[in-house]
Amino acid sequence: MNSDSPVVFVVDDDHRVREALSSLISSAGLRVAVFGSAAEFLEYEKPDAPACLVLDLQLPGTSGLELQQQLVGGDAPPIVFISGHGDIPSSVRAMKAGAIEFLSKPFDDRELLQAIDSALDRDRIERQKRSELAELQRHYNLLTPREREVLPFVVAGFANKQTGADLGTSEITIGVHRGQIMRKMAAKSLAELVRMADKLGISRAAGTV
Amino acid sequence: MDVQPRDPAEEIKGLERCINDLVSVLALPAMWSGGDPSRIVDTLLDALLGMLQVDLVYVRLKNPGSQAPIEMVRCPQSQKQMVQPHEIGEALKHWLGADAQEWPLLIRNPIRGRDLSMVPLGLGLQGEIGAIVAGSERADFPRQTERLILSVAANQASIGLQEARLRSEQKGVASELDRRVAQRTAELAAANEELRKEIAERWRAEENLRSSEEKHRLVVETASDAVISMDDHGTIQFANPATAIIFGYDPTELVGRPLTVLMPEFMRELHDRGFRRFLETGQRHINWRGTELSALRKDGQEFPVEVSFGELTRDGHKLFTGFIRDISERRQTADKLRASERDLSLIIETIPGLIWCAAPDGELTYLNQRLLDYTGTSHDDWAKRGWANLLHPDDAAPSAHAWAHAVASGQPHEGQFRLRRSDGVYRWFQVLGQAARDSEGGVVRWYGLLIDIHDRKYMEEALRESQAQLSRAIQKATVGEFAAAIAHEINQPLAAVVANGQACLRWLAAQPSDIAKAQEAAERIVRDGKESGEVVRRIRALFQQAALEKIELDLNEVIAEVLRLLNGETAKKRITVETDLDQDLAHVAGDRVQLQQLVFNLLLNGIEAMDPVVDRLKRLSIRSKHSSPETVLVEVRDSGIGLKDPERIFDAFFTTKENGMGMGLAICRSIVAAHQGRLWAATREGPGAIFSFTLPAKAGLAS
Repeated sequence: MNSDSPVVFVVDDDHRVREALSSLISSAGLRVAVFGSAAEFLEYEKPDAPACLVLDLQLPGTSGLELQQQLVGGDAPPIVFISGHGDIPSSVRAMKAGAIEFLSKPFDDRELLQAIDSALDRDRIERQKRSELAELQRHYNLLTPREREVLPFVVAGFANKQTGADLGTSEITIGVHRGQIMRKMAAKSLAELVRMADKLGISRAAGTV
Repeated sequence: MDVQPRDPAEEIKGLERCINDLVSVLALPAMWSGGDPSRIVDTLLDALLGMLQVDLVYVRLKNPGSQAPIEMVRCPQSQKQMVQPHEIGEALKHWLGADAQEWPLLIRNPIRGRDLSMVPLGLGLQGEIGAIVAGSERADFPRQTERLILSVAANQASIGLQEARLRSEQKGVASELDRRVAQRTAELAAANEELRKEIAERWRAEENLRSSEEKHRLVVETASDAVISMDDHGTIQFANPATAIIFGYDPTELVGRPLTVLMPEFMRELHDRGFRRFLETGQRHINWRGTELSALRKDGQEFPVEVSFGELTRDGHKLFTGFIRDISERRQTADKLRASERDLSLIIETIPGLIWCAAPDGELTYLNQRLLDYTGTSHDDWAKRGWANLLHPDDAAPSAHAWAHAVASGQPHEGQFRLRRSDGVYRWFQVLGQAARDSEGGVVRWYGLLIDIHDRKYMEEALRESQAQLSRAIQKATVGEFAAAIAHEINQPLAAVVANGQACLRWLAAQPSDIAKAQEAAERIVRDGKESGEVVRRIRALFQQAALEKIELDLNEVIAEVLRLLNGETAKKRITVETDLDQDLAHVAGDRVQLQQLVFNLLLNGIEAMDPVVDRLKRLSIRSKHSSPETVLVEVRDSGIGLKDPERIFDAFFTTKENGMGMGLAICRSIVAAHQGRLWAATREGPGAIFSFTLPAKAGLAS
């Protein structure tokens, strides 16, 4: 197992469950890290590897659902919930908030391991997306402020002449900016640049007609 | 007169004596004047005895007033005591016979037995007055002189006696006259007295009359009512001082004016016509004893009066007297009272309440319009049929009973019943009745209210139901939480056991097998399994050690409280609840909440056991009694689906219900155990089940 191999985090306040899950997940050839509380998990320095979180619903202090809320939006691993007595409202909330699976204790090992696999796959894709977005962001950061101004007009399909009129400059200057943008963003076509802008969340200019 | 040869001197002397005696005899009437016969005879006899030498002088007088004659006799002193006049009389009578005229002149002395020469002489012309007899033993008796003197004396006595008799008769007449005069005088005096009395009486009567008239005058003068008299022309003859106050006229200025000046214009013609008709026909067109009319004050103001009349005929003329009372104030008061009554009546009729009144015997006497409107009935309907017809059939009998009780006891009446509205819908009402009493405490009337409590009642019922639901929810939540806690406690090690087992299998199945890891997993399985057992043991201990707040309790009260909570549920599910609670049930020592939960669970269990029942009556009965003096028994019977497995039903998590946790009866048994009691179940002979529990009675605390 190298540092890139996937890792499964287990958060459960019951040491017996932690031990059993650790053994079970290990038996499937996965790295396991176990924590007795949400706080312990948050403090932990996570390795840069595909990961998933097996999270107990009932935790002392910060509950499982609260931890999930805290992690949403970041690069947190996908979550598989386990619960002593799953109630429907809790499971619905958990699933709405993006949980991979909601398992009631005691659960079948295959169900758990399958859920873990799904979660790890999801995390791999997410990690890929995150890395691409980071690359794009790095390119975007190379743009001058004026180029960043021009970019929405370009991706919106405005002609240079019109863009120049809107921004109060010449058609030729806009053409120069456009060339710089294409180069710095490493976009091979306008279509690719449009996709990049979408991923970066840059909205297209509305402009006056 | 016998003449014997005598001495002439002697003879002369004798004659002289005779003359003297005759003079004396002749003088006798002068002495007798005014005397009565006995005195005349008395003097006569004395005189004769003195003049004549005789042995006896006797006088008999006829007494005109009686049969017995007056007899007197004189004898010389020597013989006097020996003779009584009536003896002489008798002797002479026998001897001589009654008629003096035929007497012999010579008889034997009846006294001394010697011969007496007797000279009888009649008194009066026919001897009608009586007789005088002189007798002497002398042989020469009577001499001539003596006979002369006797004759003269007899004549004189006759005259004297005649006079005396006459005088006596005159005296009688005079006294009769006097008597008559006196009698007449007395009669006159009596008549006078009578007259005087009569006069006094009359005077007194007149005095009384005067005083009475004075009084009447005073009454009339000081009366607060106007007193006005008029003649048969309708002209005022008299008006008392009160007239000035009431009409504003001085009495003197009214006299001589027509009565109609005291009437408003519109009445004058009417009055004149009516008065004329009365004079002609005697027919009264208004009540003379108090008639309310309008009168006119001098200042032109009209005001109401009450008038009474009297009629008097004097000297052929009719005089009418009216007594007139100003009733403005009374009228105002009456108007106010009427207005106040009208207001009150308006209030009673318009306030949004249903009001009734009843007689002391309970018979309805009044219903306000709203009550009639509400029920769509009339007073007559109520009078005929009373309450009963408008009450819900289920409420009629108890309500009538309660009302009868109130009427009998006078206690305030209170109750609830459903009253039919005019559209046929029954609504719940609260009835309140209060007896009004007189000063002696007797009921004079019942006043009552009907308050529509329909919505409130249903709200209350809904509230009770929601309370019951809430309670049940809390109950379930409690059970749920508890079950969750247990589940968690059990699930954790269980999950670990399962996971370890699976891991163990995986380690063994791996190529190559990791025996060490498999062994570790297996060891954890054993460890966690044991721990699970410990958890279960701890939970049971938890139940038993739960600190109970034991107080003295009446299980009947607990049952009643729970039944109230379940009221909505049983009503909704159309379950007939029957209770048979021993009123002398001993108290128990227990935790109220836990025992409530116990009864609640058992009853709810019964209710839910009847959920599938559709083809028969759902009957839930609860009963309390002593199974022994020291033990209280409570039984809950249902007519539900019965028990398939009476042995297992108290096991935790054993349930036959889709939504059941299987904890209800387990909790029940824990509670009963914690109260040193016993809980068991049995199937009934009919459909359904019986759950029974016993608790020890608290000694000496029977209620």
